Amino acid sequence: MRPVALIGAGKMRFGAFPDRDLRSLGVEAGEKCLKNGHVSPSQVEAFCLGNFAGPSFTGQNHLAPYISTALGIRDVPATRFEAACASGGSAFFHAFSAVASGLYDCVLVAGVEKMTSQPTARVTEILAGAGDCAGEIKAGSTFPSLFAMIARRHMHEFGTTREHLAAVAVKNHANGALNPDAHMRKVITMEQALNARPVAEPLGLYDCSLISDGAAAVLLMPADRARDFTDKPVRILGVAQASDFVALDQKPDITTFPAVRRAAQKAYEMAGVGPRDIQFAEVHDCFTIAEIVALEDLGFIERGLGGVWTQLGHTKPTGEKPINVSGGLKSKGHPVGATGVAQICDLVAQIRCEAGEMQLKRNALGLAQNLGGSGASCVVSILGNV
Amino acid sequence: MIGTVYTETVVHLAPEAFAKDVPYQVVIVALEDGSRVTGRMAGDRVTIGDLVERVAVRDGVPFFLKASSRWTNVLFT
Repeated sequence: MRPVALIGAGKMRFGAFPDRDLRSLGVEAGEKCLKNGHVSPSQVEAFCLGNFAGPSFTGQNHLAPYISTALGIRDVPATRFEAACASGGSAFFHAFSAVASGLYDCVLVAGVEKMTSQPTARVTEILAGAGDCAGEIKAGSTFPSLFAMIARRHMHEFGTTREHLAAVAVKNHANGALNPDAHMRKVITMEQALNARPVAEPLGLYDCSLISDGAAAVLLMPADRARDFTDKPVRILGVAQASDFVALDQKPDITTFPAVRRAAQKAYEMAGVGPRDIQFAEVHDCFTIAEIVALEDLGFIERGLGGVWTQLGHTKPTGEKPINVSGGLKSKGHPVGATGVAQICDLVAQIRCEAGEMQLKRNALGLAQNLGGSGASCVVSILGNV
Repeated sequence: MIGTVYTETVVHLAPEAFAKDVPYQVVIVALEDGSRVTGRMAGDRVTIGDLVERVAVRDGVPFFLKASSRWTNVLFT
């Protein structure tokens, strides 16, 4: 396996764009990325697209060549990767594998989702397709309700509280308020978070991420060729994907995600680092409880203490382990297929010192964790400037 | 069929198919044989650890009722 570098990144502001179609989102991010990496469309040897439910949201299928050809990329393999909310991460993992193996030298990865063209009840229904439709979904579970059941169990076993969950939302909204690309740039108070209308108890409106449109893209290249294209290559030190049961009721313990632990372990091994070495991270806060469980599964804090640790401020930008400095899915927005690729773009912005008001001082080694469904897929990536 | 509530939630925002039932309680129940199943509560709300009894299966979905004190007495006295 040969070392891989990221030479270009491009993302757009996330939000609700009623006048934009799915393809135009992918093209905007793709063009920005190619420009950033100083690569022309004819140099791209493969195109990997992360997209969860384009056909359900928009009716359009066969999305990878639909977008790649609009970018001027011809003839090469163009493939869509679907792993629920980890679709973007999965596209990134497979692109990395293809470059690391020596199969290709220049691979463009994009993630895209166009969600706001459907009413909320229909969006809820489409998202539920990432669960077990023959079991839990048929019984009336929604994605918020699956994570609500995880939260209830975490509260029962470890004493996690509503205030701990709210602390995640308050922090991520404060972070996102500084992010010009965030969907909801709005600071919220603890009281607002705690008193929001219930979605699935104990989760309220501010415990849930947003329904957004958006896209993001990155460009991968063997590390030894990267400096021919950019002065600011970022090393991809470790990437791993893992899987687990789709149905929540099949997991022996729903307060931890084995796929996250497995992907993290493999990514740490590949990078030759441990959780203590990671200086900052973008984690998959589709719901506030998911960030708390991620802190524990990634080994940043002991099991059961993720909520307390958050409430004490250790995951704020000024804390020992800044988490979701971009605002996370919570405030930045969660266009499902774009999320995993956007997380990589956020790490890159920090490592390249291009994060503006969000810029951290300890920015040399970052981790992204992208979760699919209620833990059935996970991609963990470690990037650095070494 | 008797089981204990492993976890639960009350759903307030649902897809159209379930909108008429809102708010409703979804439970994961640990059954006597050690397996777990996701189902719906009929009647009283329950919390983790409560005993429940499966009273119906509609379209493959189990519906549970909080177990009566009669059952509690049989199992724990």
